[in-house]
Amino acid sequence: MIRVSQRVRAAVVAVLTVGALSACGNGSGGGSAGTIEYWLWDSAQQPGYQKCADEFEKANPGLRIHISQYGWDAYWSKLTAGFIADTAPDVFTDHLSKFAQYVDLKVLRPLDDLGPTSDIQDGDYQEGLAELWKGQDGKRYGAPKDWDTIAVFYDNAALKAAGVDPAELQNLSWNPRDGGTFEKLVAHLTIDANGVRGDEPGFDKFHVKTHGLASEGAGGGGWGQTQWSAFTGSAGWQATDKNPWGTRFNLDQPALQDTLRWYFGLVQKGYMPHYEEIGGANAIGTDKQIQSGTAAMGLSGSWMISTFSKLTDAKGKKLDIGLAPTPIGPTGKRASMFNGLADSITTQSKQPENAAKWVKFLSGEQCQDIIGQSGVVFPARPRGTDLAVAYNKNERKLDVTPFTQQVKDKTTFLFPVTTNAADITALMAPRLDAVYIGSSPVTSLTRLNEQLNDLFKVAQ
Amino acid sequence: MATTTAPTRSRDDTRLALLFILPALTGFLVFMVWPTLRGIYLSFTKFNLLTPPDFNGLDNYIRMVQDPVFWNALKVTVYYVILNIGLQTVLALVIAVMMQRLTQRTWLRGIVLTPYLVSNVVAAMVFLWILDYQLGIGNTVIAALGMDRIPFLSDSAWVIPTIAVINVWRHVGYTALLIFAGLQTIPQTVYEAGRVDGASEIRMFRSITVPLLRPILSLVLIVTVVGSFQVFDTVAIATRGGPVDSSRVLQYYIYDVAFGRFQFGYASAMSVALLAVLVIITFVQYRLTRAETSDLA
Amino acid sequence: MTTTAPTVAPAVVVPETTPAEPRRFSIGRALAWTFMILVILLSLFPFYWMLRTALSSNNALYAGSNSVLPVQASWGGFERVFGLQTGQEAIDAGGAGQAIDFWRYLLNSVVVATLVTAGQVFFSAMAAYAFARLQWRHREKVFAFFLAGLMIPAIFTLLPNFVLIKQLGLVDTLLGISLPTMFMTPFAVFFLRQFFLGISREVEEAALMDGASKVRVFFRLVLPLSAAPIATLGILTYIASWNEYFWPLMVSYTDKSRVLTVALGVFKSQTPQTGPDWSGLMAATLVAALPMLVLFMLFAKRIVNSIGFSGIK
Repeated sequence: MIRVSQRVRAAVVAVLTVGALSACGNGSGGGSAGTIEYWLWDSAQQPGYQKCADEFEKANPGLRIHISQYGWDAYWSKLTAGFIADTAPDVFTDHLSKFAQYVDLKVLRPLDDLGPTSDIQDGDYQEGLAELWKGQDGKRYGAPKDWDTIAVFYDNAALKAAGVDPAELQNLSWNPRDGGTFEKLVAHLTIDANGVRGDEPGFDKFHVKTHGLASEGAGGGGWGQTQWSAFTGSAGWQATDKNPWGTRFNLDQPALQDTLRWYFGLVQKGYMPHYEEIGGANAIGTDKQIQSGTAAMGLSGSWMISTFSKLTDAKGKKLDIGLAPTPIGPTGKRASMFNGLADSITTQSKQPENAAKWVKFLSGEQCQDIIGQSGVVFPARPRGTDLAVAYNKNERKLDVTPFTQQVKDKTTFLFPVTTNAADITALMAPRLDAVYIGSSPVTSLTRLNEQLNDLFKVAQ
Repeated sequence: MATTTAPTRSRDDTRLALLFILPALTGFLVFMVWPTLRGIYLSFTKFNLLTPPDFNGLDNYIRMVQDPVFWNALKVTVYYVILNIGLQTVLALVIAVMMQRLTQRTWLRGIVLTPYLVSNVVAAMVFLWILDYQLGIGNTVIAALGMDRIPFLSDSAWVIPTIAVINVWRHVGYTALLIFAGLQTIPQTVYEAGRVDGASEIRMFRSITVPLLRPILSLVLIVTVVGSFQVFDTVAIATRGGPVDSSRVLQYYIYDVAFGRFQFGYASAMSVALLAVLVIITFVQYRLTRAETSDLA
Repeated sequence: MTTTAPTVAPAVVVPETTPAEPRRFSIGRALAWTFMILVILLSLFPFYWMLRTALSSNNALYAGSNSVLPVQASWGGFERVFGLQTGQEAIDAGGAGQAIDFWRYLLNSVVVATLVTAGQVFFSAMAAYAFARLQWRHREKVFAFFLAGLMIPAIFTLLPNFVLIKQLGLVDTLLGISLPTMFMTPFAVFFLRQFFLGISREVEEAALMDGASKVRVFFRLVLPLSAAPIATLGILTYIASWNEYFWPLMVSYTDKSRVLTVALGVFKSQTPQTGPDWSGLMAATLVAALPMLVLFMLFAKRIVNSIGFSGIK
């Protein structure tokens, strides 16, 4: 008897408490008045942006910035769910592969319509960056934040052990037939379980201890940015008929298929790790592969510089990491994908003008200088970039020219910007995985290309 | 005689009954029936959650029938269910019988139940780590034994069996206890009679235990099969559908289409398909196992 | 009570069988015990491994170490979980810069699980009583209707329920998470109805003859008599609600309403751009699993003994 009425009482109390709890907190979009909700995904960048926030709050009393960081996967699903549930942030770090879809769904506010951001000048930023963030309607949907390119990171100790002079890496070349000097180096750096190198007789490609080239997976989710884009780019290949806003794809072209055949062929030769070796769906990046000795060198993006510079071996001794530019391709030039992040404001934000102030600050000199000095990424403004370069040189004793020279030499190409990005990824990622794993031939990409083209026919 | 009540009392408790089932009925209608109807309606629309639904007739169903990823998802899910339930039921039965024979102490049953206490997410993460290709203790042991490392969660042939085993680890204890309790309902006299007749342990198991357990077993089977078809958490954490669709179970595909690609209408159509499959399977199971009758009575 | 009956029976079994065939039995028994020991090891090993990894440091783990004991033992993993390391420290140790607000999530999980359990058990008991003991037309039809609900896949109701919760303005609230399962589940109604059917009618009839209303009978007689199955259902519901992942993932967006399981998923994906923070992850896993394990150790006997069909006709 007592138990029953106690239960009832407890239940009633619980319901009332929660009723009170849910009434207290307001779940409407954006932060409460005065607090601007800002999201980003790179945990390494958070401290730098916190500094920016502190400066902003000093200059704008009454306004607070609340920064939330979510890892890449969770970030996009939460953002999506946030749009649906009306709990999206005021401002968030946007990515070229996603922003077109958000424009279509009408969840991004054009920055031109908001006071503080209406006067952002394209010319203040590295060439081409600001234009990337304009929608098909010509309006600006993102304020440039940073830029990145791709380069080769290598383990100096592995090179020394192989008797290779690091200067050699500055002039490597590759081609789809025999891989050129690039593949020769990769082969030489590959060591099997018995200590035999990849270019020596008796090399056992089935039991490899250290691979010459690290793998970042098949690259189906990001147009091979850190995987094969440097190779296809230097083979003269373009993903779509025009960029941005292309609608016809070029995955059926020989330039692409021959390159990928060679690139994924490195796996069969034992020079690059298998899908399983890097962890399948939960793949470890180039940095972890170099750290654990699975690979001697690999391609990665400039946003990873700070991570690489902190790598240590099992005993805690810091690894000596070097940088080299991507190899020269059949076109006679090298290439790197050029990507740039930007900050966007959501239509659900309850305080767009304040949010615009924050975005203006983020893309302004003061904040970009702060970010440059934290040395995690290259800010979009040239001066911020210089500060970052200096930071790397002075604090990390690292020469980041391999990243910056591609911008200077104009050997970069833009990240492909299209609509229907989610559908494209859903189709591309498994197909490319299959090619990487070896269960499908490279020619299967022709069928994929048709499917991608169909997506756009339907949309019209 | 027990059914007669005082003559002046009405035999119809309708009003009272209504009161008693009202909360449950409300919950049922609002959160189960209405969404089902709404889901069926949405399956005939194009809906991206941010703008009102747009009726498009049978388009989603036509697309579904032509979608190789959907059929693959169905196949993968069925394969998973067969492995998972098959292994789980057999193991649970054996464990239950062992427990009954060896010791009735609570501690053994307690230990067996422990994996059930943690969530699917926890189980997935632990095994993700234990079965890691390079660093996991599982493969370290395998390599030490001189065999090739096994890519448990990153090889298309291994991935579904591995996920099935992970979920067996989590659920077998609970299922075993249910069966164990069912074993307790079989009177010892039946076994005594069997022993007197000279039957062996195994013979008794086959001819007495299993037939008498039938109603319990079929109930357990029906519930576990329905649950197994809806596997999601483990896949979401461990493989995200990879490699190349080989673990892209139906519920995961639906989730991805709805929340990743904003195609709620299509996702709803596939959910309707899943519902149909479950209804058919449950119905068939129920009939096949004649779950409502018991040989004991 | 019916639930204690099973534990009495076994005391009769063992002495009976031993004198029969001692030799054959001991080999069989040895095999059986070997099997069970294997089962015990397999059940418990992952928990030990969680602990061992949580107490190791990431650098040592990634450099590939095989010790059975923690390597480069440190509390780092746990520190990151409880937010006791600064952003920079965490990044250096191989973790992500964001801490997790553990106590908050724990409280949220407790609130949700309690709400759901209290509501579901109570309302299902009422409904079960109506189906078991009250006389009304269409009783069996409505019950079958309820039972059909067992076949509805979770994902099917999830999407429209989400839209409904959004329209009610309950997104990102604990109430919003609890609401769909707070009233009943077909399983709970079925489970309790089975027990109520098994309660002796004589006692009930006697009470009714004495002038008690059916409502009184329910509260003062049936419920107390069913304390054991109700407790069982309560515990099972609590565990299930605690371990829910998919639905809370959809409904919660901020720390305000995040529960432990979702926090664990978020912690996992908050990895630095590279490999997972295994020691932090395993520490988080352990911490997420701990409340249920503690609950279990406190109530082990009752939980284990209550799982069953005792009382089912």
